[in-house]
Parts: sequence; C-alpha cells; structure tokens
Amino acid sequence: MKKEKEELKGAPTISAGPTTNSVSNGTSNEAVIEADKKPSFLKRFWKGFLNFFHELGKNEMFRYVIKRLLLLVFTFVIIFLICFVLVRLLPVDANTGMNDPQVFYNKMVAQGRYIAVINEDGTKTYMPTPILQQLWTFIANLFSGGDHPWGYSYKIAWLQSPVEILTSHLTPTILINVYTMVIAVPLGLGLGIFMALRKNHWEDHFLSVLIMLVISVPSFVYAFLLQYNFGYVWQTLPPMAESASVGYFSPEYFRSIILPILSMSFGSIAGYARYTRAELTEVLTSDFMLLARTKGLSRAQATVRHAFRNSLVPIFPMILGELISILSGSMIIENIFRVNGVGGLYLDSIQKLDYDVFQFVSMFYILIGLIGTLVVDLSYGIVDPRIRMGGKK
Amino acid sequence: MENENKVIGTSMNYEELSPELFKKSNVDNSTLHDQAFETKPISFLKGAMIRFAKNKASIVAAIIIAFIVLFALIVPLVSPTTYVDKVEYPTGFRDAKFSYALPYNPMFEGSGFWDGTEVKKGCSKKDVDFYTYDDSNHKPLIKIVGEKEHVVGASRYKSYDLKIDSYAVGCKSVFINEEEYQKLVSYEQEKGIAKTDKSIMKPLRDYHKYLEDYEQELRDTREELENQGIKTNLNDTSIPAIIDYLKTYYNQSTRIWYKLAASVSNNSYSQNSFVMARDASGNPQDIYKRDAGGNLVYAEKTNGLYEIRVDYYDYFEFHNGFAPRFVFGTNSSGQDIFLRLALGARFSLLLGVGISFINFIIGLIWGAISGYYGGTADLVMERVTDIISCIPSIIILTICSIQFLNNGALKAAVGEAGISVLAFLVAFVYSGWIGVAGTTRMQFYRFKGQEYVLASRTLGAKDSRLIFRHILPNAAGTLVTSSVLMIPGVIFSESSLSYLGIIDFNTSGLCSIGSLLNDGQAAGLKEHPHVLLFPCIVISLLMISFNLFGNGLRDAFNTTLRGSED
Repeated sequence: MKKEKEELKGAPTISAGPTTNSVSNGTSNEAVIEADKKPSFLKRFWKGFLNFFHELGKNEMFRYVIKRLLLLVFTFVIIFLICFVLVRLLPVDANTGMNDPQVFYNKMVAQGRYIAVINEDGTKTYMPTPILQQLWTFIANLFSGGDHPWGYSYKIAWLQSPVEILTSHLTPTILINVYTMVIAVPLGLGLGIFMALRKNHWEDHFLSVLIMLVISVPSFVYAFLLQYNFGYVWQTLPPMAESASVGYFSPEYFRSIILPILSMSFGSIAGYARYTRAELTEVLTSDFMLLARTKGLSRAQATVRHAFRNSLVPIFPMILGELISILSGSMIIENIFRVNGVGGLYLDSIQKLDYDVFQFVSMFYILIGLIGTLVVDLSYGIVDPRIRMGGKK
Repeated sequence: MENENKVIGTSMNYEELSPELFKKSNVDNSTLHDQAFETKPISFLKGAMIRFAKNKASIVAAIIIAFIVLFALIVPLVSPTTYVDKVEYPTGFRDAKFSYALPYNPMFEGSGFWDGTEVKKGCSKKDVDFYTYDDSNHKPLIKIVGEKEHVVGASRYKSYDLKIDSYAVGCKSVFINEEEYQKLVSYEQEKGIAKTDKSIMKPLRDYHKYLEDYEQELRDTREELENQGIKTNLNDTSIPAIIDYLKTYYNQSTRIWYKLAASVSNNSYSQNSFVMARDASGNPQDIYKRDAGGNLVYAEKTNGLYEIRVDYYDYFEFHNGFAPRFVFGTNSSGQDIFLRLALGARFSLLLGVGISFINFIIGLIWGAISGYYGGTADLVMERVTDIISCIPSIIILTICSIQFLNNGALKAAVGEAGISVLAFLVAFVYSGWIGVAGTTRMQFYRFKGQEYVLASRTLGAKDSRLIFRHILPNAAGTLVTSSVLMIPGVIFSESSLSYLGIIDFNTSGLCSIGSLLNDGQAAGLKEHPHVLLFPCIVISLLMISFNLFGNGLRDAFNTTLRGSED
C-alpha cells in the first residue's frame, strides 16, 4: 500500500516536467524520454530501499535481531497479561482511597474497574467489574491515549500517575548505579588482570580467597558494617542518604551516597575480578599468544593487544547487561540507606499495597530484565563475529 | 619390546621355526585365570569422596556447616530459656525488663568487651546519681570512664562517660501469690539473706506519703518566696502538675528509692526534670515504707496477692532457675538472641533444604521429560520456562501473601505461620526449579545419544527405565551440586525479604535469620548494633561455607578431574 502511494507521488513529477519547464523545452523532452526508459529517482530510491531490506532480510544477524525483538514483545505481553490478572484479582485494601472516597470511586469507574449501581434510595454501590472487561478497558485506554492508562497511586502519592512517580525516583537509583559501575568496572577488571598475570603466585591465591569471601557475604552485611563504622562510630560520612531537597547533583548528596555506592561495589568488583581472571588465564594459555610472543611482541604488548581484547568477549556483554540494569535499584541497599530510588519505591508499593504503582514498577523491572538479557545475547555476536547468533549446529 | 624384536629378527628365520622353540605354558592342564587385581576398584562415589577430601577449603566449609546445624539443633534443646514456664511465656521466653541486654560471655568478664557492659557517653550528673544510688544487689555503674567540662555561654556543666552493666536492671515491683511468696521467703531464709543488703526482696516505697510532704514543702516555699517578693513559677496549677509528674515517674521507675525534687534554676521549678534531694551530708534520703514500729515493710498483701519490690536480677534467678545472662544479648522485647538465632538458623536451613529439595524433584522431572523427548515437547516446555523465569518471584510472593491472608478457609487450616511459609514456598518453588530443569535437560541431551542407551533400548527397555536407571544416575553428580548451591540462595532470599518486611515470620511466632535481621533493623544499628551483629555473622558464615562446599562438591563430581588429585 505504501509503495502505491510513493508511485502516485512520483507520477506528477514526471508529467509536470514538460509543462513547468517550458522555457528549456528540448531538455525537458529528453527528460521525459529518459523517465520513460528509467524509473524516477524516487522510484529508484524506493527500490533501493526495499532492496536494502531484502538484503538485510537475508542477513542472518538481522533476522535474528528482529526475531528476538518480536519474541521479547511476545513474552512481555504474556507476562503482562499474567501479572495484570493476578494483580487485579488482589482484594482491594479497605482503606484504599478513603481519604476521599468519592474521588477514588469516580476514578475507578472512569477506568472501568468499578461500576456504580444506583440503589433504590438513590445511594450508589460500587461493584468491581469482571477482570476481562477491566483488561479490555485498560488496553483501549492505553492505545487511545486515555487519561492515566496506568492508573493512579492512592497510597504513596495521592492520585499521581505511577509513571510520574517512577520517573521521579529514577535519578537517585541511576546515580548510585552509575557511580558503582564507574568504580567497580575498572577496579574489577584491573584486579582480574593482575591476578591472571600473577597466576599461582601468593598475590593470586590471597586475592582469590578474598574474592571468594567477598562474593559469598551478602551485600547488606557490608552495608551494615560501613553504615555502623563510618556513619555512627567514626562519623566521617552521613549514615543515610540525603533527601532530594539538597539536589541530586550537589556535593552533599554525593557525600551521602558514598556508603551505598561502596557497599554495592564490593560484590561487583569481586564478580568482575573473578570473571576477568578466569577468562584471561584461559586466553593467556592459547596458541596465538605463543605466536604473538614468537613474532617478537613483549609480554605486555601481547597481553594488552591480544589476550586482554580476546578476554573481553564474554566480559563486555556482562558490562553491557549491567548498564541496562542501572535503572533498577537494589531494594535492600536503598532501604538501609533510605535512598529515594526505584527499589525503595517498589518496596513502598508492596508494603502500602498501592497496586497500580506495584504493577507498573513490576512491569518496569520485568522489561529491564528482558531487554538486559536480549542486549547481552546480541552483543556476543557484535563483539565476536565468530559467534553466530541463533546459528544452527 | 623393540629389543626383543631385534633379537628374534636378526637371529631367526621366521619361515622355518622349529617346534622346540615353543613350550606349553599351561603344563599341568589347569584352567587359566586372569590375575586378581591387588588394588580395590574405586567407585564413582568413592572417587568423588577422595577428590572432595583433597579440597581443604570444602572440608572446612563442611565442618562449619555441620557446626551451625549442630548449633541449630542442640541449642534449643539445652538452652534454659526454652524451658521457661509455658503459661507465663506463651510465645516463648521474653522479659521486657532485660530488653537490649548486651552480649555477655563469662570468659570476658570485666574486660569491657563482650561482658554485658557498655560505655555511655555524655551522661549528665543526674544520670551519674541515677546509676550510683541504686538499692539493688547489682551495681549498674561500674566506673566513670571519663569527664568533660562544657562551657555554654555563662553556664558550665560537666558530662561523664559511664561504664554501665546492662544486666543490673535494678528493682521492680511484682505481684505474687501466697505460694510463691512463701517459697521466696523460705528461699531467702535458706540462703540467710532475708532482710539484709543481699536480700531479694527490698523494702517497699511509700512515695505517696513523701509526695504529700513534698507538696506541702513546695507550698511553704512558695509562700516564703512570695513573702520575700521573689517571683517563682510555683502556683496552684504548677504544684499539682509537678506532684503528678513525680507520681507517674515513681510509679514507672521502681528503681528510685530516694526523695526527688524538682530541679530549680533561678527560682523556676521544672515540671518534668527532677534531681535527687540530698540531706545535709549529701546522701540520698530513702522513702521506704515503715510500719508503726519503724521497721521496714517488705511485702504488702492486697486482694490475695503480695506486692513486693525485688532485686530483679536475683528474683529472676530464683523464679526461672537460671541467671539472666545472654551470650548474644537480647532484642527489644527481651528475647534471648542466642536461642532465637538457633531457632532461626534451624528454620532457615529447613526452608532452604526443603525448597531446594522440592525444586530438585520438579526440575528433575521437567528437565528429564524435555531433555529426553526433545522436539516439540522440548520447544513448548522451554517457552513455558522462559515466561515463568521472567516474572520475578517477589511479585508472586507479594500476590500470594496478600491472597492467602485474605483467604479465611486457608488461614483457619494452616494458621498465620502456615500462610507465611506457604506463600514463601509457592513463590520460591514457582521459579526455583527452572535452574535444575535446565541442568537436567543439558545432561539428558548429553547422555541420551550414547551407545549404552541405544543398547538398552534395543533390548526393549521402556522410556521410564532409560530415564531413571540409565541416564539419571550419570547426571546425578551435576544435579546434586546444583541443588546444594541452591540452598544458600534460598536462605539469602529469605533473609533479604524478611529483613525488608515483605514476608513476616515474626508475628506468627516463627523466626528465621531474616526475621532476626528485621529485629536488628527495628532496634537501630546505631543504638543496639549487637541485635544485628550475630545474625549477620551467622548468615555470612552460612553463605561462605555453602558456596565453598558446593564448589568442592562440583569438583568432586567432575570426573574429568580424575587423576589430577595426585
């Protein structure tokens, strides 16, 4: 259908040629003749465009990406339907919306979740509608751009949209996670490289044991240790994160989130270091390393140019995956340090039974998880073209 | 070999071998036997055991796990706090008087570390008096560690750092029945401590009489000052207010046995701050109840119950049969953390092992079917696991616990504790088996094409026999390891979720390591770090040792490592 439109657009330019360009008649005639022989520029462009996609369609990688994307959407929709039904089946807490029942019921009716039944004496009784009907209203609302398709928060922030609430909580979470990554990635990789180069020396043994311990101990234990010692006993750093009023990018706020950043970094650093060490030791023993040394490269050159680059193949997707998940906050760390982030919001919505917010944040977490896995999977093929994604045996 | 060939090759002609060259080896015509192996064969399990024993870290980890398991099993059996009166403590031992008692270990007595004492910083003179003049048998103030002088404007005051024994909780009023009272009296007489300094029963207080006197005194003072023309805040409303406040204070603080007076500055009498009223020589004046003969009154009977004022530490020992000393201290409601930690570890381990076991079984069956049959069955089953694994278990947990709590029939059937456990069980079994299923599936793909399976199938073995008798035993090692490594995961998730309060075992009388962490959060890390410390240590130890143990198991069951042990 689109193609036809383009052709229609293309047609007037051909016929308009001789009438408008009446001054230089000869040339325009030639143009007409040429146009008869050759398709117009737009037509050619469109053909090329189609051809590009046709070629792309033959490209296995591209087909794979599209397939995965469609699968992601499909999975997400199924999960969403399951969650939607499960959440809507939950009994509504008796004091939900009770600080203004009329507004609450009006909103619920507007969203098709309740119907008002007028009694004989003129009062209204509100009855929940069937789940499938609710689902239909929700979908219709979502696609027709209706008011607040994701519902309202009735407990956390009266009548605010869950979307707004979530976006307002994103900044601190992203900040903490980005700082954690900035610390953890270089340190972890550095430690891993150091350990791989000093393999089976005492430094490697010592660090391996340390990393084993650090990985095993739950992150909240570090959080408590840091908070107690730095925050309360020595009082060098604020034990709790500052409120948003100081501004998320102010030095005070940064000072107050040092402890959560640290307590999240430990496990991360240890994880990267262990992974890097394992990969690098494997690469360092490969034959091409021997070749590189025989060619005359020094150990440092061979390690940096050949070994490290190759060891990054599985590490890079890992980092990429983490980059996606900076949007989702750690509930327990945000709870301990009273960070006003997404994890804290999620916990809040669970504890206060604010269903719409709970549903929205859950969907957010699920989507991030799905996208994260997808990106990690795809990036393997990009980082190392030898890995053919979705290739058959 | 080569040598032999050479000899034969050079010296002999193969085509004309004389029969003399051949000798019958089996001269006496006996049957020939293979030589019996002198070494014993090493079975798969035995080999695994040998490899496991080589791994020192795993051995240590196994010992730590065994130690924690023993701790969890034995402590609830031997701890005296388990055997307290069930009628008096229906939900297990707790004593609010000993809330937040600090950890006490007799080995560190008097060292200032782990001996139930703490240093309170920045105490006022009033606090010093409060801790110094205590008429119980156990002196709360051990010593004044430091003094500091502060100057604020024109006024200067001192602050003190006091070392306080958290178990010296002072005296408490209790009401006991006749029988109990007689027992206490005879116990005191037996010990020869009745009505002495070391007695359990301390003299009753008569603060009502003192307050009447004090009220009169205040009125007199007011009159006197008014006569002198000095302005005070004493009037008909403030004097009863002071007396009222004092009355409540005396009623609540049964430790106070001396006269208190409102603190005065610039002839302004405070209505809620009191200091000790000293006599001429600076000593406190007691407000003990005395009978007509001037003797101290130790007990008063009203409505068939005796009101007595006891030294609570000694009374506790008399009443419960053990000294109130807690190795890991107590929490906000005065529950013994040592016992609760054992109970919590027991419950958490049980939950971890139980859930891992269920997941193991489900995952095994699912993975076996999808791996063995492959094809469409595999494809469909894989998509199902894909979708299930994408929904975080926290969503399921939240939904389950809300749904179950609102289900009256279910609540009646399994109780409140059962509901929390059930919700947790559902949430963690819901997606927990997927890992095992994946591993099983991989193992089945690996083994199902092998010749021995084909041979068995040719002989007519059914699918179930092939699955359970031929393929599964080969995959057992990997599967066992993956399910052992699942246990710390479950314990960790449980503790995080309990800490966050998403599941609550505490109100239903159960306790897990996570609910102990939740106690610690409620206690406040700043004020009472010990409540959080011990659960943290135990969970860290559990995590570390389970991971090491699981890694050891994985290496042990990895047959490719055979021979590398030497």
